[in-house]
Amino acid sequence: MILVFPAIAILISMGIYAVLTQKNMIRIIIGISIVESAIILLLGAISYIPDGVAPILDQPYDTVVDPLPQALGLTAVVINASTTAIMLALVIKLYNRYQTLDIHEIRKLRG
Amino acid sequence: MKKINFDKVFSFILVSLLGLFIMKVLYSVAGEEAARFTADHYISYGVDETGAINIITAILFDYRAFDTLGEATVIFTAASVVALLLPRHEASMLKTEFTPVVQQSIAFILPFLWIISIFLISYGHLSPGGGFSGGVIISAMSILIIFTYGYRYMTRRFNVKKLSLIEDIGALAFLTIGLAGIIAGGTFLANSQVGIYPGPPGELLSGGLMPLSNFAVAAKVGTGLSVIFLSLARED
Amino acid sequence: MIEIILMLLILLLVVSAAIALFSKKLLNSIITLSIFSALLVIILIIFQAPDLALAEAVIAAGITTSFFIITINKTEGVN
Repeated sequence: MILVFPAIAILISMGIYAVLTQKNMIRIIIGISIVESAIILLLGAISYIPDGVAPILDQPYDTVVDPLPQALGLTAVVINASTTAIMLALVIKLYNRYQTLDIHEIRKLRG
Repeated sequence: MKKINFDKVFSFILVSLLGLFIMKVLYSVAGEEAARFTADHYISYGVDETGAINIITAILFDYRAFDTLGEATVIFTAASVVALLLPRHEASMLKTEFTPVVQQSIAFILPFLWIISIFLISYGHLSPGGGFSGGVIISAMSILIIFTYGYRYMTRRFNVKKLSLIEDIGALAFLTIGLAGIIAGGTFLANSQVGIYPGPPGELLSGGLMPLSNFAVAAKVGTGLSVIFLSLARED
Repeated sequence: MIEIILMLLILLLVVSAAIALFSKKLLNSIITLSIFSALLVIILIIFQAPDLALAEAVIAAGITTSFFIITINKTEGVN
């Protein structure tokens, strides 16, 4: 169970490494969405109590999983989709303008 | 080529330092038992206060409904930004000509998708689901229609104007639910503290105004994301 | 038993994230991204978070992948 936290740290650093070094814009967006999914995994991992029960209380249980991070994580998942959609819309607009997906090319073209 | 290697090595070192730092923070967080006052309150009093069995929907649509209102506006702004940004003109969608088999099977599947989303929305306070997942399935239906029958078929039935109209209706419904909290004597969006009939927990009509706000948020999320997809896949 | 499955799934998660980020063809990395989200859904179910898993499944594995595919379609950036 404790193995989750190193995995989250690895995912976040891998995503940010991809954002720093990738040239293709769509890969940068994939890196960002992997960092966001790692945060969702973190919220799920923090809310878990060993042998807790899912927070659906059709009858009173004794140990229940912490529902608060899951509720806020649900909002975070939907916002991830919206931010990814806006980033992709910007990629399409940049492609129509500069005919390339390479971020270094676009940085050079100041025009 | 030398310059790129230097960048890669430098960012690799930077990122691994960040990873070590995050791991240290996470271990310190995971270690001690965080005091869970609010969570304990939600768990012990959640069911009889709000009448909803699914504590997460009770949190999202009753205790913290204001966050959900803010979150629904995030989708609204995302939809309008994407609709504004993307040009109508020359981007042409690769026409994927599916065989009639696919089109017939998709035509067969769509009503069942509709049943799934209505089930998830209306049973949101009883089983996992709720406004968000049900609404997203509605937008997944419009994506399915665009992929199989093409963009024009979709816009003949639901163009961006109609979809954003439904989205505004969802927003207004959510605000009126909030005002109902004020009218009933409590604060904005306070549907169970004010004693609006929570109903016996476990019944379909329990949870005060929660099913209604579920439907309102589902309308906003569903049409918002379909507007995003319509403008992403836009072609003249 | 569940510990072993969870450890295996987390390992797969990190491997699919690596493939999604650093694979040669762009389409491969997008398909691997949806596999990554599917693995994340299973892990969230093991962590007793059904609402989060359902939303993550429908959104991240579902429509985000179609957003990516539409963008690739529009920009023909399949290099």
